[in-house]
Parts: sequence; structure tokens; C-alpha cells
Amino acid sequence: MPNVRSSPSARRRLRQGRDRLATLLVTAGGLGVIAALLAIGLFLAVEVVPLFWSSDAMPGVTAQALWLPQPGVDEATLGYRWDPTASLATDEVTRISLLPLAWGTLEAAAWALLIAVPLALAAAAHSALFMSPRLRSRLKPTLELMEALPGVVIGFVAGLVLAPWVERHLAEVLAMVMLLVPGLLLAGGLWSYLPSRLQQRLPLGWAGLWLLPWLVGVLAVGVALAPWLEAWMFDGNLRRWLEVRLGLDVAVRNAMIVGMAMGFAVMPSVYALAEDALAGVPRSLAEGAQALGATRWQTFVRVVLPAASPGIFAAVMIGAGRAVGETMIVLMASGNAALMSWNPLDGLRSLAATIAIELPEAGPDGLHYRLLLLAALLLFVFTFLVNTLAELVRTRLRRRYRRLGGGA
Amino acid sequence: MSALLRRCLATWLLLAACVSSPSQATEVAGTLGAMGSDTMAGLMLRWGEALTREHPGIRLQLQASGSASAPPALTAGTTRLGPMSRPMNAAERDDFIARHGYPPRELAVARDALVVVVHRHNPLDSLTLRELDAIFSDTRRCGADEDLTRWRQLGLNAPEGRIRLHGRNAASGTQGLFRRLALCGGVFRPAVNEHPGSAAVVAAVTHDPRAIGYAGLNHLTPGVKALARRDAEGARHFPTPKAVQRGDYELSRNLYLYVNLPPGERLPAAERAFLDLVLSSAGQAIVEELGFVALPETTRRRQRRELGLDEAGR
Repeated sequence: MPNVRSSPSARRRLRQGRDRLATLLVTAGGLGVIAALLAIGLFLAVEVVPLFWSSDAMPGVTAQALWLPQPGVDEATLGYRWDPTASLATDEVTRISLLPLAWGTLEAAAWALLIAVPLALAAAAHSALFMSPRLRSRLKPTLELMEALPGVVIGFVAGLVLAPWVERHLAEVLAMVMLLVPGLLLAGGLWSYLPSRLQQRLPLGWAGLWLLPWLVGVLAVGVALAPWLEAWMFDGNLRRWLEVRLGLDVAVRNAMIVGMAMGFAVMPSVYALAEDALAGVPRSLAEGAQALGATRWQTFVRVVLPAASPGIFAAVMIGAGRAVGETMIVLMASGNAALMSWNPLDGLRSLAATIAIELPEAGPDGLHYRLLLLAALLLFVFTFLVNTLAELVRTRLRRRYRRLGGGA
Repeated sequence: MSALLRRCLATWLLLAACVSSPSQATEVAGTLGAMGSDTMAGLMLRWGEALTREHPGIRLQLQASGSASAPPALTAGTTRLGPMSRPMNAAERDDFIARHGYPPRELAVARDALVVVVHRHNPLDSLTLRELDAIFSDTRRCGADEDLTRWRQLGLNAPEGRIRLHGRNAASGTQGLFRRLALCGGVFRPAVNEHPGSAAVVAAVTHDPRAIGYAGLNHLTPGVKALARRDAEGARHFPTPKAVQRGDYELSRNLYLYVNLPPGERLPAAERAFLDLVLSSAGQAIVEELGFVALPETTRRRQRRELGLDEAGR
């Protein structure tokens, strides 16, 4: 360093200069990101425009064809069909409805969140508030490592291993799911009747560990009971019962499988953010509540949860954003059948998967290509809206709970 | 998932390895660019390897991003060979003619077939085109009276329940071919599961006794059973190499290679060497090794004559 003995004012100037440079770089980076985002949106919008202003080379695509049922297409899908290549081949531009794809995207995301959010939030609450610190310090990095699993791998396992297995063992899976919650509640009930010596050997802070054998046992009981359940409630064959009584088909790759796989993928990020938010709530708040006579449950529900709600909400929304945009898992686990059905055991098809599969084969600048870019624009707007909504609600909640000193 | 992997790999420029062999007297050198069908990616690569063995100076550079990518690249002149798993359509051909004033030279280089597959324990062994159409489409353009959605409707007791449909993704050459040949140009049911590769279709059918799907002939595995086509007299045509070559098995097609060749001109040396190999019996042996079907002998000889390739020694 040549300037070790420089005057204080020179050093201050140097420091200010550095500060200014850093500010400039950070600002430039931020602006760059915003510009890139806008550029992507603009590119998509510009590419999509020729769809609606028809030239001689391209038939005009109407909003009706994209979003409203088309008469005479077919009754089974109420006139909503996505099949642009057939449309082009038969010269009737009526099978380009984006609704089945938007439906598939939202359905997949909804199932994923339905599975991931309760599990992730419960796990976060338990590990942030009740778990022994030693176990937590081991468990948290492991759960966060799950996030690093590539979507392709999860999709592969879900589509080629899990889906056929679940389809063959439908009754077992149902029995396991039905027994899981009662089994856990039973464990809690039994624990309070245990002699105190045993209770000390099985502390609640370590429940994450000693409950594992119990869970395995519960699942084993579920598998063992499945044939009885099937015989007693479902006339001996669950699949036939579903079809005859409820009119539900079972597809091998269905919305439930997608929900499970994508729920698994979304869970770690929701867990990590929610855990941070819950752990960030000042201990003084919880201690104050308990000092005033609140139980642990009351403290958690009335004090800690509201204080951490902005962070938890952000966690859920980030999960939603990922679930909407996730491509490989849906592509490999959903079967890509562009259906619109309420049946969770039917296949579905998402916007992202459609773009991934069809774009390489769509001729550049053709109708199909531009329709796919329109789908991309839609996806972009979807995620943009979800994230904006998340940010708005988060800032409002944060303002409301700032007085409590809650973390977010 | 081999199809996906293959595509990922092929999107990179795959270079055929150089193996030196000083046997050939005529020295041809250079890089031969090819862009197009991913069905033919393996075929093109093997031909490229064989070409480099014969002419150490030539390398084949392949970009396999789908048949649709070939015509624009040929028209713009960014590639010299356009492998396609379907013939060019009128619009693509017109674009080329508008730019160059003559149509691209179309060469059949191999034959391929679509096989309709079911689980290996399925008792079904043949279907008429009409039944196939009624299973896969709800437009029934081939003239069936009712939709076939359950195995029972085909007179079978064994797989109960609905027929689960599997096929290739929209816009792929395979799906387009199946629609033209088996659906009489109709529309697929929305319930068809669309897979990004033939191998994925076969894998899905392997694991599901209630499934039916269609895939390229070269993806057939012992895990599935290929169905015969039953004609009006009740005769069964299995997708054997002979039947595919002769066209007795209707769900078959040519695989094409397009080159930019002005009428009356001779092929440039590199293209000439490549086509000489492809249309040789050694080149056709590679076709069969990869599970496709070789061209009929007459077609092969006719194309050689038309290109002015010498017939001696091949």
C-alpha cells in the first residue's frame, strides 16, 4: 500500500469514491435486471402481435378461438381443444384453445401447493420452535439440500417409478394416506400417557427422530390393511369402484403424481423461507406470552404465527411461482394430455411443458411458433402477477406487524 | 428418456470421430453440415463415422433439432444436407423455390415404420385401420361407427377398463405421420398422453397392461408387443422388414435427405461421397443395424443412377 501515510481527508475521499462506485455498480445491476425482464416481456409481446393482425400468410387468431369454447369441435371437452398442428393441417383454426393448458398449469400448481404447504409449514413451525437445537442444526441443511435436486431427476423418478407403482397399489396408497394423520395423533396421545421415565428418554424435541419407526409401522399397518379396506369399502377393487361409482378414470401419470413430485420439489424452498421467518420472531414475544399464561399452542397460533406471517406468505408465494413455472417435472410426470377435468387421477398438460415439447418442432415464424410464444407470454404474466401480489401483500402485512417486531 | 438425452446431446454439434484409413485414392476434404430430423440423428451419425473412415478429410457436423428445422436451413444455405423424417410440405418447398428457382433434390435414404404396441401380456394381436382410428381419434374419419374407449369393445376380457392412449408429442414428424395414415387426417383425442420420444412411449406401454401406443419401428423392445394391421379380408400384416420395404404394412414411410442441387449440375465432392456411402449396400446395412428398414433394391439403384454415382463395386 503506497498511501499508508496519506492525510485523513484523502483517505475519506478515497472511501467516498469507493462507496459511490459500489452504489453505482449495484444500481446498474438492478437496472440491468429490470431492463432484461422488460426486454423479455417486450420480445414476447412483439413476437405475438402478428397473430392478431392477420397478414396473408397467417390466419388471424381471435380471442374467441383462444379462450371460448368452439362450436362443433367436440362435446367431450366442451369445445376446448389444444391441437394447433391439426388445426393447421385441416385449415380450421379452432383447436388452439389455451384454456386446457392454463387449466393444467394451475391444477398442477394447486395440487403441489396443497401437498407441500401444510407439510412445509408444519415442519418449519416444529423445527423453529419445538425441535431440539442439535437436531435442528442437522436437519435444516439436509432439507435445504433437497432443493438442489434437479427437476429432471424428480420428474424421472415420479413418472417412471412412482406413477406405475402407485397405479398398481392404489388401495395401499389410499390406506397409508388415511392412516397417516390418525397414526400421528395417536402417537401424541399415547406419549402423554407414557411413564415420565420413558417420556424423558423420548423428549418432544427429538420427536422428529423417534417418530420415524412409528411412522414406518403406521405405513406398514396401512399396507397390511389395504386388502381388507378394498374388500370392505370398495367391493374388492378400488379402480373399478372409482369408475363405476364415481365415474373417475385412473391414468397412470396423473395430477396427483404431479402434485406429489412437484410438492416434493417446492417443499424445501417453502420450508427454508418459512423457517427463517418463524425463527426470526424475537424470543421476547413468545416468552412474554407464556409469562402471561398462554400455552405453547396459544403462543404459537396467536403470537408467533402472526408476527412471522409476512415471511410465511412470501414463502408460499415463492412456492407457487416455482410450481407454475416448473417444466421438467410436469412434462415427465403428467402424461401431457391436454384435458380439462376435475378428476385428480386424470392427466394434465401445463403451459411450460407444452412450450418445452413443441417449440423445437414448430417451424420458426409460423402460426404454431407464435401460439407457443403467446403461451410463454401468458406464463410470464402469470408468474409476474403472482410475485407482484406476493410482494404487495407481504409489505402490507409487514407494516401491520412491524410494531410486534416480527421478522420477515 | 433416451430421446430427451439424445436431443440434448444432438443439439450440441456432434462431431464424428476421425479415424484414418489411407485406402481411398480420391481425396475429398471439408466439413459437411447437416441439420434436421432427430429420428435420423443416430443414422446420420453412423453414416458420418463411416464416411470419415473412407475419406479421412471429411467430417459430418450434425444438428438434430427436428425435421421442421431442415427446410429453412436449406433455403437459407446454412446447411448442405437436410435429413427429414417426412417429405417437405408445399409451403416449405415453395419457400425454397422462391429463393433458388428450383426445387430441392429429394432422396429416399431409408424406410421406417410406425408400430402400434400394447403390453406384452395383452391378448390382442391385430387391428384394422378403422379400429385404430376409432381408438386414437374422436373424429373417426376412417369410417368407424363408434368410438372405441374400452378393451371390452374389441372383444377382449383380459385388460379391463379404459384403453390408455400413448403417443408422440404434437408437431413431431411421427405424430403427423400417424395422423395422416392411421387417423385418415383426423384429430387425436385429448386423452392421448404425449411423450417427447418414441422410447418414452414404449417405456410407458411396457409398464401398463391397459395401454396402447405408437412408436418408431427402431424403438421396439421385448417389453411390448407390436400389433399387426388387419386388412378388409382379415389378412394380418406384421411390421416385418419385408412388409415395410414392400409397403404391405401401411404405417410405413420413407426417411429423406434433401440437398440443394441445381438441375443439371453434378453434386459437390463431399455430398457426392456421402450419398455414395448412404446409397451403398454398406450404408444400407447401417440402416438395418439401427432398427430401420433398408430401401428396396430398385429404389436404391434408381437413385444412384439419377445422381450419376457409379454402380461398380457397390
